Amino acid sequence: MTDGMSKQQAGLKQTIEFDDKSVRWFMGASIVWALVAMLVGVIIAFQLNFWQVNGKFLEWITFGAFKTEGLQYITFGRLRPLHTNAAIFAFVGNMMFAGIYYSTQRLCKCRTASDLLSRIHFWGWQLIIVSAAVTLPIGLTRGKEYAELIWPINIAVAVIWLVFGFNFLWTLKKRNEPSLYVALWFYIATIITVTVLYVVNHLQIPTSLTHAYPIFSGVQDALVQWWYGHNAVAFFLTTPMLGIMYYFLPKAADRPVYSYRLSIIHFWSLVFIYIWAGPHHLLNTALPKWLQMLAMFFSLMLWAPSWGGMLNGLLTLRGAWDKLRTDPVIKFFVAAVTFYGMCTFEGPLLAIRSVNALSHYTDWTIGHVHSGTLGWNGFLAAGMFYWLAPRLWKTKLWSESLANMHFWVGLIGILLYVGSMWVAGIMQGLLLNQTDETGTRLIYEFAETVDKINLLLFARAVGGTLFLVGFILLAVNILMTALSGQSVNGKVEVYVEEEKKQDRMTWTQVFRNDPIGYTFWIIVFMLLWFFLPPFANWIALAIMLILSWMAVRAFKKSTKTWSEWHETLLENYMPFTVLVFIAMFIGGAIQIIPTVTVNRAKNIEDRLQVPYTPLELAGRDIYVSEGCYNCHSQMIRTLVPEVMRYGDYSRMGESIYDFPFQWGSKRTGPDLAREAGKRGDDWHFTHMMNPRSLNSQSRMPNYIWLAHKDTDIKALPSKIAVQRRLGVPYEAMTKNVILDKAKKQAQEIASRLIDAQVSIPEKPGVKITSSEEAKEYLQSKQIVALIAYLQKVGTYEEVAPKEEGEHKPSTILPGLPDTYRPAHTEEKKVTEGKAEKAAAE
Amino acid sequence: MAENKDTTAEEKTKVEQEQLPEGVVLRDHVYDGIQEYDQRLPNWWLFTLYIMIVFFVGYWVAYYQFGWIKSDVERLNDAMAVVKAAQKKELDKVVANLDDDSLWKMSQDPAVVSAGEKTFQTICFACHGKDLSATMGGAKLPGEPLDDAIWKYGEGKPMGVFDTVMKGSPDKTKGMVAFEGQLGAKGVVEVVAYILNHHEAKSDGSAQPKGK
Repeated sequence: MTDGMSKQQAGLKQTIEFDDKSVRWFMGASIVWALVAMLVGVIIAFQLNFWQVNGKFLEWITFGAFKTEGLQYITFGRLRPLHTNAAIFAFVGNMMFAGIYYSTQRLCKCRTASDLLSRIHFWGWQLIIVSAAVTLPIGLTRGKEYAELIWPINIAVAVIWLVFGFNFLWTLKKRNEPSLYVALWFYIATIITVTVLYVVNHLQIPTSLTHAYPIFSGVQDALVQWWYGHNAVAFFLTTPMLGIMYYFLPKAADRPVYSYRLSIIHFWSLVFIYIWAGPHHLLNTALPKWLQMLAMFFSLMLWAPSWGGMLNGLLTLRGAWDKLRTDPVIKFFVAAVTFYGMCTFEGPLLAIRSVNALSHYTDWTIGHVHSGTLGWNGFLAAGMFYWLAPRLWKTKLWSESLANMHFWVGLIGILLYVGSMWVAGIMQGLLLNQTDETGTRLIYEFAETVDKINLLLFARAVGGTLFLVGFILLAVNILMTALSGQSVNGKVEVYVEEEKKQDRMTWTQVFRNDPIGYTFWIIVFMLLWFFLPPFANWIALAIMLILSWMAVRAFKKSTKTWSEWHETLLENYMPFTVLVFIAMFIGGAIQIIPTVTVNRAKNIEDRLQVPYTPLELAGRDIYVSEGCYNCHSQMIRTLVPEVMRYGDYSRMGESIYDFPFQWGSKRTGPDLAREAGKRGDDWHFTHMMNPRSLNSQSRMPNYIWLAHKDTDIKALPSKIAVQRRLGVPYEAMTKNVILDKAKKQAQEIASRLIDAQVSIPEKPGVKITSSEEAKEYLQSKQIVALIAYLQKVGTYEEVAPKEEGEHKPSTILPGLPDTYRPAHTEEKKVTEGKAEKAAAE
Repeated sequence: MAENKDTTAEEKTKVEQEQLPEGVVLRDHVYDGIQEYDQRLPNWWLFTLYIMIVFFVGYWVAYYQFGWIKSDVERLNDAMAVVKAAQKKELDKVVANLDDDSLWKMSQDPAVVSAGEKTFQTICFACHGKDLSATMGGAKLPGEPLDDAIWKYGEGKPMGVFDTVMKGSPDKTKGMVAFEGQLGAKGVVEVVAYILNHHEAKSDGSAQPKGK
């Protein structure tokens, strides 16, 4: 109330017109892509029930005019990445931009800095989405979840994101409101964190215009990927949404935000803690123990900061709960924030290692992520759109009752979705672990456990369909609202001061003060506690605790100084941004740098992967391209039922030459880490052509095209050259040697297959009369390369323990703090010597 | 006018400082019409945060630093040792009285054969065919036919068939996987009995199709 008045006294009165055109465009794009993303989601959900949805159904709906056993472009493995990318980057991305463009201009009392940049941002982003929708179904993928897009598109994403970030920060610089509102804090965190995450997880070396290998492999790639994947959820699907909540919810409810200090505490703790939690996607795997520990504990510590956001949302509605009955916008917001609370309660729960042992690789995770994207983001988006549309087109919402109907249809849909996934996940987890009374034998085959949750999978697909129907109602409602009104741009009258009283903090003021000082030293000693060898770590822990105690005392004594410092910080956008960057960067840097800077193979302790032959490498790239990782993992966890089912648990070194890693995150099919040499080539051939001929409960698509498409062996020389640069010990080979090797291995496999009398599926124009012709035909085909890969996956050789005094390239081991922790006894023999040596050096 | 709505909203603040209950602070600053209270943090919320931090330090020290609780691999190895011992015990029990003759005898025991049939028709049929011919609808399946006199491994002796099912073929890429883990020794005996039920013994104890 005083803010407006104080400005009346000084400065020049100006009327500023906001750029709401960008908001309308982003909103429209978001709605269109939401429908696409959800439709694809519904299709792939049904694919898990009915394998025929992978293409065979086209035969039925065209009454046999179009003959197919399966269409490569619409298999689950290729469509699921399209679904996730569309939902995250197209639907939520565009919605986020609409919300940010609308609220930032108003919170800064100025128009977005550059209209041109806004236009480039809008069209660039849509172009990226279209190119994703083309490349993913044709099998061009990087094989890393939510990071599947190929490298030329990656560059475009980075450029457009920077355009957006630059435009945003430029707007902050030009703002006519000195102090930054909490929504803007969350936008800042989003922009800088997503930049860092995206760039690091997309470091790669191209082998062609459409293919590249990531520079990380195996465990390192896994770590980087899930640092990215988890924080894409944190900083793409959560922080911008919280910012949007902080602006639109109090606006819609017409009530003050519940607690400013809660905003401060939960913002900073969220930004600092979230980033550490990434490796909780890799619990009980071959990931070094210390990272698993940190991931679990930071996830648990995240409970409170996340709920801070929910509290601030729900408690803001105190005094406005009556609107819940009448206003669809409030309905959506309340449901969204409630889902946020539920989802962030579930997250830390799933990050507890023993809970994760059951839940991981099952549908529980799928349910969890959808309560986030549909419940939290989807409902927040709907609420925001319904609130925005009448204001952007200067009219009333076309139909309130339709919006109410959307709410109930959507709510039933998401509850059905999440409920059935809980039951499916827990049930399958329990079935997989069930043994007979002697405890020596597992009862269920993998496919049986999937078959038993069939009905639940179907319920999920129905729930998803309902949610889609709700969004179609939204699309109609918004479209009719837009047609019934006319586009208007918001305006504001401001008193622009000649010399702005903002952004004057010096860097000394930013960094040299008690809050920063205490925080800095507490974090330093925390890190020393993690990393120092015994006794020194105890001292570090003690100092850390003493410092924390001193910090609390200092805060109690001079609360006012501390708060004033933060208030000043809010009037300085650059220092604020830099501090957010530092808070966010620490966790990632500490977890990733020690693990990725070491010389990979030389530090491996027990088993080392045998590099792929050229043909196997080509086969692996087909495996990646078909998206097999969407259903099959390659990681046997350190759990009894896993070892009983699949064999010895996976070691870090067994996938050390895998670019990208393929540990997977969900099993709709069994694990493949020990598949090599387990079955015959002909078994694999028959299975790939028609999985149900060998296992009637399988829901895998028929991969018939693999028997007719040629393997791209011409690409092998440049692929192998890149792999050599990345440290895979290939001997020097000329182009011809590589091709000869590949052809020779392919010939052997093709003859084995034909000798075993496999039947090559028919294809118009292909006539095979003799077995010689069949061998000739088959050897160049993708199926042969893929079988070569499947017979090699995870093959390793034992590494002799390193002798005392032997040259060690680095004392920084991948499992650094693990080396002197007693809980790590499995490699005690090896590590005892190492720890001493590390101490000596 | 719609465009003036926000401006008026800012000037007219809806919640006044004076109307607030004891101890509740409403901040001065208004952002685009949005006001903020400065409520105390709920105690239960703060305790959730503190307890998790204490749990972090405590568990890290107990589990990871002191190793008071068994590590994953230790726990896994211990449990697998128990499983292996139990499997061996079962195997010893089954194998103790097992030879060609006893297997032939079991192949005439309806209880054993029907148990074997159930296993065969859910698992083995995929490669060996429902009728043991290793074909389905005329197409060749990956397995060996089990209804003829040709035995690729184990010379057609019941114990040879038993060993093959237990351990798989010598080169798995050219033959069958090991079924010991999945079926257990008892399950394997039942399947072998079912297969032998389709055969009769030659004078040397090896199997040949019935009536040939």
